[in-house]
Amino acid sequence: MRQLSNLPLPVKLISNQEITKSNSSRLSDILDDQSGIFIVSDFGGGNGIQIQGLDSQYTLLLIDGSPIIGRQSGTLDLDRISIGNIEQIEIIKGSSSSLYGTDAIGGVVNLITTMTNDSISADISYKFSSFNTNDISMNIGKISNKGHNLNLYFNSFNSEGYDLNDNPVLNTVEPYKSYTGFLRHNFKKNKWSFFSSSRIYNENQDFTLDLNSYGRNIINESSINTSINFQNNESHKFVFENYFTNYKNDEEYDLNQNSIDESFFDQSLFKSELRSIFKNDVKNTLTIGLGFYSETLKRNNFYKDKVSQNSFNYFVQYEGFIFKNTNYIFGARYDQYDEYESEFSPRFAIRTQINDNISSKISIGKGFKTPDFRQLYFNFSNSNSGYSVIGFNAAKEIIYNLQNLGQISNLIISEEEFSGNLKPESSISFNLGFNINTYKNIIFDLNFFRNQIQNLIDYKIIATKLNGQSIFSYYNLNKVYTQGIEFNTAFRLLNDFKINFGYQYLEAKDNEAKNQIKKGEVFARLTPNSPAFQIKPKDYYGLYNRSRHNLNLKISYVTKNNFEVYFKSKYRSKYGISDTNGNNLLDDFDEFVDSNLLSDMSISKKYKNYNLTFGVDNLFNYTDPVNIPNYPGRIIYSKLNIKL
Amino acid sequence: MKTNIYLLFSFLLIFSSCQKEDEVQLLNIVSERFDNLYAPQNGGVDQRTGQFSPISGEFTKFNFSTGQVTNSDTDWDVAFRATDIIINGGTSLGTIDEPSRNGNAAVYIANGTMAAITAVDLQSLSQDADSGYAIPSGGGNGWYTYQGPPVNLISPTPGKILVFRTNDGKYAKMEILSYYKNAPDSPDAYTDESKYYTFNYVYQPNEGELGF
Repeated sequence: MRQLSNLPLPVKLISNQEITKSNSSRLSDILDDQSGIFIVSDFGGGNGIQIQGLDSQYTLLLIDGSPIIGRQSGTLDLDRISIGNIEQIEIIKGSSSSLYGTDAIGGVVNLITTMTNDSISADISYKFSSFNTNDISMNIGKISNKGHNLNLYFNSFNSEGYDLNDNPVLNTVEPYKSYTGFLRHNFKKNKWSFFSSSRIYNENQDFTLDLNSYGRNIINESSINTSINFQNNESHKFVFENYFTNYKNDEEYDLNQNSIDESFFDQSLFKSELRSIFKNDVKNTLTIGLGFYSETLKRNNFYKDKVSQNSFNYFVQYEGFIFKNTNYIFGARYDQYDEYESEFSPRFAIRTQINDNISSKISIGKGFKTPDFRQLYFNFSNSNSGYSVIGFNAAKEIIYNLQNLGQISNLIISEEEFSGNLKPESSISFNLGFNINTYKNIIFDLNFFRNQIQNLIDYKIIATKLNGQSIFSYYNLNKVYTQGIEFNTAFRLLNDFKINFGYQYLEAKDNEAKNQIKKGEVFARLTPNSPAFQIKPKDYYGLYNRSRHNLNLKISYVTKNNFEVYFKSKYRSKYGISDTNGNNLLDDFDEFVDSNLLSDMSISKKYKNYNLTFGVDNLFNYTDPVNIPNYPGRIIYSKLNIKL
Repeated sequence: MKTNIYLLFSFLLIFSSCQKEDEVQLLNIVSERFDNLYAPQNGGVDQRTGQFSPISGEFTKFNFSTGQVTNSDTDWDVAFRATDIIINGGTSLGTIDEPSRNGNAAVYIANGTMAAITAVDLQSLSQDADSGYAIPSGGGNGWYTYQGPPVNLISPTPGKILVFRTNDGKYAKMEILSYYKNAPDSPDAYTDESKYYTFNYVYQPNEGELGF
């Protein structure tokens, strides 16, 4: 595996040791510990990642280089991913579509799974925590005499859930259980090497809506990943990869024991990629490749029974050195689509080792995200509150039919606006970083970033029906930017006393809103009885769910008799989740979610092959049931790990 | 129903009367606040069953010159039904129970504070049509902003001033302050009764005068 820290890109690596030390169960836990990364829960349920101020839907999540799917409402729920078999997590910040294609706007998170080094190995963990949560993990590895490397992983996770509200029937999180299975096989013979893996995931949750209504939610995921590597000669190899994955979610409600309401979501992705890699010497590498994606989706509330999309892509990447101390990457990728404009995504990045202590990194890249099937084909009517949301492609026909029936009272968007295609959302991202190694034991890392995104897709009202119902559809509406500074430092006081500190300053704003405020078109009012006043540019806070400041501290200390004490703390400054004063944007006169500080602590003791941990997460029992339902409060746990 | 009446002197009145003594005395501009104009509707979402049915019900009509709600079929300027606001000018959209238009009222939405809108911009005035109301319906389009779940609040968008030509050709401006009964400081969509308009308005009673 290559040294990612030498790449000219803002990269963060999380090692297996750190994953173990944090006692994290799910991917959301360990990512939440990283500076500049927030875990944000959304309304549809699910905890998604926010990198450089960009939402979960703009971040690509990979396992061994292949994407995880199943973003029902845009957010990819990180609680689905167990991390007991993860050797390393690689986080590339900033747009990376030049290599990865769609969705890589905010960044890419790649999980590398474990491969055993021993002829036979076993690793078993059991973690018991508050809310009757049981987390059992088992890793078994074997290298056969013929050189087959086999790794089997199994995880069982169940929880009683928790209740933060006053409602006697409804729980904040209902009890649930999940299982993960993962099998990985590697084999090398002569010029050939083979990799294959298979992952399955199952999640079950029963819930109650009121005394007479209850339901079930079942998620099933499966995937197969294969890669064949042919080393043609010393300087040239081929890599051929095939990947298939399926995500299914079924939800059923029994309403008052007579009617049953069902919803389903069934998504599949097939991905095939061929790469040819030339290495003319140790330092210069040329990769050229082509790929094919085929994606299908069946779901309820859809304009068509089944929608699908095929696309081809072609990419090239050159990594080289200019002078002794400077390396660079130039990459570009072309993604060809039928339904919308094809995308060309270049990237250039350069790293210079200025002297023994200082290096700098600059990268500029393009990112994009194609409209998802929901934005194209959704056809959803909420009979309860009397509105409909329809996808852009479905809108043309649905509106036309309603007009012919004389049911449209007010068409807010002109018909011409339906005639084209929805454009992919696209970004240009810029990163400038410095790495300073002043003393042997201290490292400073500083990174400035800016992402400018255009053609952001949002929904707005397009028509009203004669009966008063509103119809919404998706449009390319906004331009937004995120910018900030990330600072990280790590130092070792004694050999066994380590401190990590991180800070991120973030600004995330809508360009148009900013302009409107500048022009004096936006007003606020403190109460209905006080007069409205014009708001000033400095009053504009920015996008929802973004905190300006994020602090992160980790301290670990190993005592002489092998006790390890680990303390971590993170601070997130205030943020808004909605506009409370009616002017459609978040300003200083809106209500905010308070800043919060969460601290975790654990003590573990190693004895031979055993490791016993006792820990407390959220030491000070911080909760905010209304705004942050995914904080259950203080969690006490113990964990036993046995390595054989 | 409580209305507070403030009578203000018109600057125009002062200046013009200083210059020409024999000119007809202008009427004073009226600046008032109207509390709790109730604008119910039938249909929509049934609070009990949660089911949607077509919207119907009489609009609550308002007349600027009297400063009162009226039942008249002709002497009204603006009318309210839940979040929809119509004017007595133009064509009916044809919704159930919608009154026919027989006056010459018109309206536009200006951006600014109430005090900053000092004159009518005649170019901007428009009337209701069979393709849509002059004050567009829907959150974020016209006079209000809808803040979705979990709060589900309807807030008058600050800085949106409705500027009217009345059915008989005078002018008025209106700032809607609240959609909830008694204009609470922090309304709660679940406990406060909705469809109660509280608004400030300024009425220019003199024919042909465009300033406020």
